[in-house]
Amino acid sequence: MLLNALLIFIGEALVAIGVFCDLAASIGMIRFPNFYTRLHAATVGTIGGAVVPLIGVALMALGADWLGNYRFFLAGASIVAGILILLLAPVGSHVLAQAAHKAGLASHEPIAFDHLEEDRRRGEKE
Amino acid sequence: MVNLKSAIPAMILSFIVYIVYTGSIDPYDLLTGAIVAVIIGLLTGEIVIKDPGKAFDPKRLYWLIKYTIWYFLVAEVKAHVDVIKRALSPRIPLNPAIVRVPYYVETDYAMTTIANSITNTPGTVVVDIDYGRKIFYVHWIDAKTSDPGEARKMISLDFEEHARKIFD
Repeated sequence: MLLNALLIFIGEALVAIGVFCDLAASIGMIRFPNFYTRLHAATVGTIGGAVVPLIGVALMALGADWLGNYRFFLAGASIVAGILILLLAPVGSHVLAQAAHKAGLASHEPIAFDHLEEDRRRGEKE
Repeated sequence: MVNLKSAIPAMILSFIVYIVYTGSIDPYDLLTGAIVAVIIGLLTGEIVIKDPGKAFDPKRLYWLIKYTIWYFLVAEVKAHVDVIKRALSPRIPLNPAIVRVPYYVETDYAMTTIANSITNTPGTVVVDIDYGRKIFYVHWIDAKTSDPGEARKMISLDFEEHARKIFD
């Protein structure tokens, strides 16, 4: 019983962390000045705001013994979904950033220096 | 001709994912899981696994688990706190830049691990990659240096050492 209570408590704490990360990510999404810096805020939303609460949900489901055998289904589905988001979300950010930079659609400013642009100009990177 | 040796790790992995996802060890689920795992393993084993010996190396598994724990408890927490502080502070302190970050690993899996690790920590996003010269172009929210070697030390050295021990 103590273990179940502990699992539920840790799970709820992780979900609370996720809520805070999502809130901070959406504030950053509005306040950051351009596309690339907003991608960093989006990363806070995917890892802190999606993967961490999914693991929290898995722990809560494992501790909720009134669910019977369904708790393993809930926990397993959450863990697999969390791992898939962890592996696939960065691919999305990466492709968005690459396409935006290649097409020159997003404003780079403010930016201190841009090695990728330099290498493109010199023809070292196609 | 299907390469059975490289099909087996793929089968085991897809069977584990199936059982974890269904969350039950009834004979029905074990049977359907085994059938699906064999089909998936035979279809994809040759494509996704080049060196089946690496898949059963306990040392690599140990490093993978150690890396996962370290990554979530140290690297992610540090980066999240940093970016959340920037997003919530009144002045929005930013110094963004795109820096060259060289890498020195051989396999595609290790490269993908490093790139995903960099992108998954808030504050750094891999924008482009140069396979020939082995360079990631990383958008960095607080560029402390423009020197590729220094930037590698600050951004990707820990990821790279772990990725080399796991996959290379």
